[in-house]
Amino acid sequence: MPRLEERRFRLQLDYIKLHRNTQIGYLFVIPSLLVVTFVLVYPVIQAFLYSLTPEYSEDSEWSLENYFNLLDDDRFIESFNNTLIFTFFTIPAELLIGLVIAVLLNKEFKFRGIVRVAILFPWALPTALNAIMWRWMFNTEFGIINYGLISAGLIESKLNWLGKEPLAMIAMMSVSTWKTSSFMALLLLAGLQTIPKDLYESAEMDGANGFKSFWHITIPLLTPAIIVSLLLRTMDALRVFELPFNLTDGGPLNTTETISLYSYRVLFEFVEFKYGSSMVIIQFILILIMSLIYIKSIKNIDY
Amino acid sequence: MQSKIRTKFLIYFLSVVVVLVSFFPIIWLFFTSLMPAKDIYAWPPNLFPSPGTFNNYIKIFNNSPELLRYILNSTIIAAFTTVTIILFGGLAAYALVRIKFRGSFAIMLGMLAVSMFPNIAILPAIFIVFKKLNLINSYPSLIIAHTGLFITMAIWILANYIRTIPFEIEDAAKMDGCGPFGIFWRIILPLSKPGIFATGLIVFIFSWNEFPLSLVLLHDNDMRTAPVGISLYPGEYSFPWETISTATFLSIIPVLIITGIFQKQIIGGLTSGSNK
Repeated sequence: MPRLEERRFRLQLDYIKLHRNTQIGYLFVIPSLLVVTFVLVYPVIQAFLYSLTPEYSEDSEWSLENYFNLLDDDRFIESFNNTLIFTFFTIPAELLIGLVIAVLLNKEFKFRGIVRVAILFPWALPTALNAIMWRWMFNTEFGIINYGLISAGLIESKLNWLGKEPLAMIAMMSVSTWKTSSFMALLLLAGLQTIPKDLYESAEMDGANGFKSFWHITIPLLTPAIIVSLLLRTMDALRVFELPFNLTDGGPLNTTETISLYSYRVLFEFVEFKYGSSMVIIQFILILIMSLIYIKSIKNIDY
Repeated sequence: MQSKIRTKFLIYFLSVVVVLVSFFPIIWLFFTSLMPAKDIYAWPPNLFPSPGTFNNYIKIFNNSPELLRYILNSTIIAAFTTVTIILFGGLAAYALVRIKFRGSFAIMLGMLAVSMFPNIAILPAIFIVFKKLNLINSYPSLIIAHTGLFITMAIWILANYIRTIPFEIEDAAKMDGCGPFGIFWRIILPLSKPGIFATGLIVFIFSWNEFPLSLVLLHDNDMRTAPVGISLYPGEYSFPWETISTATFLSIIPVLIITGIFQKQIIGGLTSGSNK
């Protein structure tokens, strides 16, 4: 076996020598690089430059005026808080539910295939249309959710889910959890499947029960997969846009308005491009900081 | 023995809950689309369409052809985006994994970094550029934007598939006098078909579902994509749930079919990158 490995490794070295061709390499990568530069890199740099151009005063060409104005903009501060609240409550809920589904799908049982397809659908459907479906289900007068809760005896009268203050945010969090727990589950399942089965067998022989081996084997070995899926989901949650746009329209009284939704409005409804650009840059920095925290924690646990 | 039975019961109980919760909103949407308006606006709600009717669907085909137009727009954009990404991204993934030229690792990392850019951050500049180029409300603008938005993810997934192709095959082709492009076209593309297929499906779904850029770049009523068109529909007229639920269901049918048939490939593609 080591012989074969060695042979493969040599082949690989030969291969790289034979094919190392920087010009061809660049030629093949250039189309992708061009489109990524045009669509992602240039616009972000441009947004940064816009954000440094004053929206209202004309005293100077460059200034931090837009950023100072953000600090006085109560609506922006509220949208910032809403985004953080939304993220910090949905991500743990999704992780917990995702973990349960992943552990379930890692077991052998009949109909496992059906469960796996079922969880794929909420993820695969457009968030905008998911939000529209749920808006009807959350409807106060005719909604199935009020009907279900009243029938079960959990509430006495119809709740105005999308029009009352904490309820609208709770509704938005529930739809997000419904939609993305499955994605979390799939990523975690892929991580679970890399854990060798004999680890559990030897733990069982040493007298560890199910919970003990879950806590001491599964969780530590699954940590990298957990952090990667948390990273991906946190970035998504911090830029949530179509969910409030279609479910609550940011209401009631802007309590579900996120940074993305408010900056969209400033950009395209109030047509204040420079001021709006300073908001998207703040959001960009927020996402950057969160990603760096996660990436650093991955490095720390790397063995 | 008793604990085994308890575990079994727990597994099936959880399975039923997960399947029900996942499917319920979709089934509810379908039922609503089969009900006449007077059955939709009712308390207590009608749980089943009785009798079901396809009138809402017929009405849409007759009175609101723009809703079908939205679905057509989405299909065109997602299809062109997918083909462009597979071609450009395939070439790039092959070069990055197999040619290993100077700077390939840096490019790979850079691609990962830019894929974290929030999509709202690119809105102002990209809108202004396309406006200058006079491409707002035309298919190319959104196809280009979606290509840039999703190509980095596609390159990562494709790279993982191309890595598994044995070097020996390429070497043999090289001996036979095949150039780098010939190797890509005759060897890599055919051999990574499953990977390309999985990547294509995921890109198609992402492009079909994308919202903020579609909203801004294609805002003319004729040009809207399905998610945007349906989400703006209630705002402009009254709030006809029977029409909206029907249009929504019609426009998720392609995604339902793709996901249902190709779930294995989609899951494989989605999870191939996360363990590397």
